[in-house]
Amino acid sequence: MRAAALVAFVALATIAMSGMARVGIHEGYAPAQPIEFSHRLHAGETRIPCLYCHYAAARSQHAGIPAASVCMNCHGLLAAQTAEIEKLRESVLQQRSIQWIKVHNLPDFVHFDHSVHVRASVACRECHGAVEQMARVRQEAPLTMGWCLTCHAARGVGDRGQRTDCVRCHY
Amino acid sequence: MQIPAVRASALRPAWVDGSPSLREIGDDIARPLSGFPSRGWFACVTASTIALGIGVGCVTYQIATGIGTWGLNKTVGWAFDITNFVFWVGIGHAGTLISAILLLFRQHWRMSINRSAEAMTIFAVICAALFPLIHMGRPWMAFWVMPYPNFRGPLWVNFRSPLMWDVFAINTYLLVSVVFWYLGMIPDLATLRDRAPQGVKQQIYAVLSLGWDGSQRTWSRHETACLLLAGLATPLVISVHSIVSMDFATSILPGWHATIFPPYFVAGAVYSGFGMVMLLLIITRRVMNLERYITVNHLDRMAKVTLLTGSLVAFSYASEWFAAWYSGNADERAVFVNRAIGPFAWAFWTMVFCNVIVPQVLWIGRVRRSASALLPISILINVGMWLERFVIIVTSLNRSYLPSTWITYRPTAIEVGTLIGSFGLFFTCFLIFIRVLPMIAAWEVRGLVGAGGETTEARDAAAV
Amino acid sequence: MSISELHYWRSTEGLASRRDFLALAGFSLGAAACSRGPARHALPYVSAPEEITPGVPSWYATSCGGCSASCSLLVKTVDGRPIKIEGNPDAGLFGGGTCAVGQATVLSLYDDRRLRQPQWKGRPVSWPEVDDEIESRLETIERSGRRIVLMSRTLSGPATRDIISSWSRRHAGFQHVVYEPRSRAATRRAAGVCFGRALVPHYRFDRASLIVALDADFLGTWLSPVEFAAQYARRREPGRAMARHVQFESGMSLTGANADLRYAVAPSEIGLVALALLDRLESADRAGTDDLPASVPAAALDALADALRRRRGESLVVCGIEDLAIQTIVARVNHVLDNVGRTLELTPSSQQNQGDDEAVTSVVGDMQRGDVGALILYGVNPAYDYPDRVGFVQGLGRVGLRVSFADRFDETAPHVDALCPDHHYLEAWGDAEPVSGFFTLTQPTIAPLFDTRAAQESLLKWIGAAPDFHDQLRSYWQQHILPLAGRPHELANLWDTTLQAGFLQILVSSSPAGFSADVREAAQSVRNEHRRSVSLRTVDRLELHLYETVALRDGRHANNPWLQELPDPITKLTWGHALALAPSAADRFGLQNGEIVLVSDGNLQVELPVWRQPGQSLETASIALGYGRTAAGRAGDGIGVNAWPFLRGMADGALGVRPTLVTLTRTGRFASLAATQTHHSMEGRPLVPETPLAAFLDQAGGSDTAPPSPPESLWKEHEPGTHRWGLNIDLSACTGCSACVIACQAENNVAVVGREEVARGREMHWIRIDRYYEGPEAAPRVVLQPVMCQHCAHAPCETVCPVLATVHSSDGINEQVYNRCVGTRYCENNCPYKVRRFNWFRYANNPRFDFNMNSPLGTMALNPDVVVRSRGVMEKCSLCIQRIQAGKAAAGGAAAVVPDGAIQTACQQVCPSKAIVFGDLRDSRSEVTRLHRSPRYFELLGELGTEPGVGYLAKVRNPEL
Repeated sequence: MRAAALVAFVALATIAMSGMARVGIHEGYAPAQPIEFSHRLHAGETRIPCLYCHYAAARSQHAGIPAASVCMNCHGLLAAQTAEIEKLRESVLQQRSIQWIKVHNLPDFVHFDHSVHVRASVACRECHGAVEQMARVRQEAPLTMGWCLTCHAARGVGDRGQRTDCVRCHY
Repeated sequence: MQIPAVRASALRPAWVDGSPSLREIGDDIARPLSGFPSRGWFACVTASTIALGIGVGCVTYQIATGIGTWGLNKTVGWAFDITNFVFWVGIGHAGTLISAILLLFRQHWRMSINRSAEAMTIFAVICAALFPLIHMGRPWMAFWVMPYPNFRGPLWVNFRSPLMWDVFAINTYLLVSVVFWYLGMIPDLATLRDRAPQGVKQQIYAVLSLGWDGSQRTWSRHETACLLLAGLATPLVISVHSIVSMDFATSILPGWHATIFPPYFVAGAVYSGFGMVMLLLIITRRVMNLERYITVNHLDRMAKVTLLTGSLVAFSYASEWFAAWYSGNADERAVFVNRAIGPFAWAFWTMVFCNVIVPQVLWIGRVRRSASALLPISILINVGMWLERFVIIVTSLNRSYLPSTWITYRPTAIEVGTLIGSFGLFFTCFLIFIRVLPMIAAWEVRGLVGAGGETTEARDAAAV
Repeated sequence: MSISELHYWRSTEGLASRRDFLALAGFSLGAAACSRGPARHALPYVSAPEEITPGVPSWYATSCGGCSASCSLLVKTVDGRPIKIEGNPDAGLFGGGTCAVGQATVLSLYDDRRLRQPQWKGRPVSWPEVDDEIESRLETIERSGRRIVLMSRTLSGPATRDIISSWSRRHAGFQHVVYEPRSRAATRRAAGVCFGRALVPHYRFDRASLIVALDADFLGTWLSPVEFAAQYARRREPGRAMARHVQFESGMSLTGANADLRYAVAPSEIGLVALALLDRLESADRAGTDDLPASVPAAALDALADALRRRRGESLVVCGIEDLAIQTIVARVNHVLDNVGRTLELTPSSQQNQGDDEAVTSVVGDMQRGDVGALILYGVNPAYDYPDRVGFVQGLGRVGLRVSFADRFDETAPHVDALCPDHHYLEAWGDAEPVSGFFTLTQPTIAPLFDTRAAQESLLKWIGAAPDFHDQLRSYWQQHILPLAGRPHELANLWDTTLQAGFLQILVSSSPAGFSADVREAAQSVRNEHRRSVSLRTVDRLELHLYETVALRDGRHANNPWLQELPDPITKLTWGHALALAPSAADRFGLQNGEIVLVSDGNLQVELPVWRQPGQSLETASIALGYGRTAAGRAGDGIGVNAWPFLRGMADGALGVRPTLVTLTRTGRFASLAATQTHHSMEGRPLVPETPLAAFLDQAGGSDTAPPSPPESLWKEHEPGTHRWGLNIDLSACTGCSACVIACQAENNVAVVGREEVARGREMHWIRIDRYYEGPEAAPRVVLQPVMCQHCAHAPCETVCPVLATVHSSDGINEQVYNRCVGTRYCENNCPYKVRRFNWFRYANNPRFDFNMNSPLGTMALNPDVVVRSRGVMEKCSLCIQRIQAGKAAAGGAAAVVPDGAIQTACQQVCPSKAIVFGDLRDSRSEVTRLHRSPRYFELLGELGTEPGVGYLAKVRNPEL
């Protein structure tokens, strides 16, 4: 009887602890988007380079979500019509922006600069996973501080001092 | 070395008035636990729970709104919060001193008061531990002071920070005190178990007494364990408050950065601790009518310790001033002048009165042996020791290096309420304790009156 | 999608923590997987504008609309929002700095008290409606032959003035009067009388080796402070050429605090000083049987006169008292000293204050007589700041059509028919010519937030012209201004280049001027004036002295919480003003700081708390103007009292300011004064070394300000990184103007906490300016010292933080990691400089702190690159870490070499006197390293062994004449 109670307690505690420890880590987060946009189709099958749509990533800290006008560059010409593409046309016609749901969320107090990483020729997939195979984009990496630092250490970014300067990301 | 076994004699003060039989002792000590509590007890409990309620209210409001509800500012970052913390940690020390050091020194007068003193220690430390927690801007992040595995890579805690040392010191202290206290209680819990009628109460005592059978083996092991724990606890009496004092001593603030702080704080701690023990016991022996076991002789001994430690404190003050003058450090001098004639001079001089002048009357034996005289003295001692911490913290902060940052500090009702609340918490715990647990170690007192034909002295002698 | 829906600023709590909380809740319900908290939306543009890349700032050159000095600016916009104002370093005239007010104007753009649309008789209407109403009425007024008056603030822009002249062509009875609450009319008139040109001279402090200022706060509030501060600093570089500065003034002004010699004299005595100087200069035999102020020994004036004589043509005497007689004498003094055309130019002249009191008074008279058919108020608020505001409002009642371009429902608004809100200058096209030949352009940095319209366009519309000021501006400049540049071959794209540069400077040849005026009359009137006030003076009556503060100036920006909370450089008061009395005078009345007194000049009475002001003239009580607004907005209303009406008793005709006397009556009540500094003496500690020039020159090279060698350190040194960022602050250059404080606040999202919190000692500014008084209370030496986090190599704060929330970076920065901080405040206690600021409450989105961070509009001024700190965490100067990171990224990564000067901190960039230099101390050739090697170098509390990364250069004064 006592043994059982003990086991139960330990089990519960472990679950609780591990649960708490993973708070704020959203690996596998894959929200449904207002438009069922498929990266598998665009980035995968049709091989559109990431930076074609997310051009800001090369210049800005934000990768940016392409304006509907960018989509229309192609979809203005393409004949293929689906309900999803209709939504796109709608938004352009009514000048109302599409409410995409952000998948990769860092806390506000973390400054991540895409352009720096793109210039350092870090491939997009190293953080975003094999997006070209995702019908719906999913958060692959844990995006924890430890995860960032592991990668920086592995690539030998700066010396140890520079690597662990808090204000490189937090300000 | 051979010490002749002696019976309790006129040569030594009697630690128990009259010579009650073992059964009487058992009855006397168990009486508070059974039966309907006295009116006095109810009065105390009401008062202390009201105080506790006030405290809970203030803390809740403060945590919900922000530290801004206190009177702190850009220059004075600590005031009531850490003052209360140091004060309560200090209170705790008497308990450990009585139960550990006096045990090792075979001071038998400790036997009838150590249980309550230890209890006091535990409750005081609980009160103390509360303040570092609620003084944080983001208490909900308090767990970050614990070194634990996390997903933040190399991020760890700062072992160079005295606050970090506090975390460990306080927790160790609490742990050891609790274990020591509980261990000493086991034989009496067993007694209660045996006396209690069938029922829940008995069940509980049964569990708590861990199947104590009173056999010779049990007894001897119990003794050994007590001695070992006493050995463990003894360094804590010194270490804990030394470490607390380092919060200040290791800083660069004039008035804080002083090497005398560790011994100075320990002396102060024991001083205030005994003040509090006297206060508690003078009240409880009356309320719980245990004058028989907590005799004027006990009060006399405690008063003597108080006098000693009080003198140590006075000496520390003197040497602090001397250092300030002799160092020739202008900033250091300025701080002490500020203490004496600055905006908080009232606090400083009250402190000097309470901690330097007042204890001197304890040279008089009649005062030491009169409960009615010791009661106000013990209160004054606690007032003085609280003010000592307040003076050290606030008057060092409010006027430090740059005159442009000089500022004053005014506590808010919330801070005062929180202080009241901590007293509420302390007394509530203590009052409940004396209702549900034996506040005097019956098994030791039995020894005092020569239970089983052999006195405690004799047993000690044999042990040597 | 309105821009305010965007999530564009960061918080320490961050969204993640909210998600965590919900995730936790979800977990406890045993449903961790499904609970993800609120989704975070990302709203892209529908069609992306070419020039905007999200997150990448763009810069626009424009000119400041904060006051009529029209400094050249660069405006930083991120995602289409202007968030930071900086001085335009290319505009040599202004030296590339700004003032505190200029810095704060970016917040006024997001002031939610601004009118959202036009109003007609208090009713919100559309532009066409209000236009119809106005145009039809103008018709009738035109026909009835009554006059149409445009009362505007100073408009120096040629294109703007062109529109006005087309009005006078269009309407026969049209009149344009320029109203400035603090005009320089007497100066202009005096110049007319003396030099035959009625204009405000263009002063050249950078050419003067001896500056004598008579109640002129030219570093703080007078005419064009940024320009003058830059000029002044150039001549105050310690060395043989260092200029000398003598100040005669009634109250303690910022300029007086910087002076080498300062004499406190009553307002009525300023004229005497000028006169005495003139006597000594004109008649070498000192026939001047003059009566001098008690506080000014005759010998001192003799010495000063000699010194002036010795510095013919390179001295400058300026006077801030707008009295024709005094200004005439001062003009004469400058003429006698051959300063005209050298240190004081008539061509080019200053157009920065065109206020014409005479015209204004006569117009008000006409209004009261009912001769004015229509009155158009352009950027003026006379119902608040016109001395006879009651008379003005009465007159307004008798005007047929009353139109105001006010941006808010101000004090004048209730009395007008039409409110036609003008753009904020950051939304508008415009131009200015602050100094003749120096043309600046104003260009929009954001689309108008509300349905407002440029005043110029309104004016165009109402005379039937095409209401497109952009076209007008462009064509006018291309026809009249750009050709002046004399570069016909590039005329085609000169407009674009000028727009990019923000200004166009054309050389105006200076021409000499003769002197044609009899000063005896003036001299006589000065003497009479003084005798009068002396005769009126009694024990309980003091002369009244009105002045502007660096923060609020004439009060038009009163609703700007940044400015309200900016400590006055001298009194250190925030959120209000006080009645400044000399300590001895206060003792005479038995008054303590904060005791409220009743101040009365016979017909006007106000209640003000007393402030004991060292250096105040004994017979004088000073009150700051610009307070007592009633319709400015939440931040500005009901703070202090409106002192403008006191000027009424002073106005002698239009062109004299007769000193009035006031009586003080105790009320026994006390007010809490929110001062950020409550102790004013250095207590004899060697905090700010100061040397007289002579001594400095003697021991130049060898330094006596070297800090005592710090004690052995127990900590091991940090291993040297790529950089060691540091600051150097030159106390000889710093004037204490406090522009850096606002710049820092704007750059780093520093919260405004309000009056009560400041009174509790909880202001959040990351940089403060310590002000100490040394010496006798009657004539103190004022010491000013900017203090921010010193970024110590051995930082006391770093060792005590239990959670490593403040640590040392490999670049030598003392990092404060908000998101790691648990708020023990141990670092604050252990910081000897007390520069750390704690978030006692949640200051953002909290109704208790109803300032800019509590309104969706106000938060648009926040810098998206800096988190808004949450409750319970410590914060402090980060050396503008966001700029450092950007600079390093631009240079190409952490290890790259960052060119010296490529990174500028906010405080450094805006400093008009360039007193702050940021750079890499590890780079032996960097400017900051050079300055750290100066003999004047010292560290604040260096003896503690903190090894600060911020160093100071000792102040050098030049008192010997």
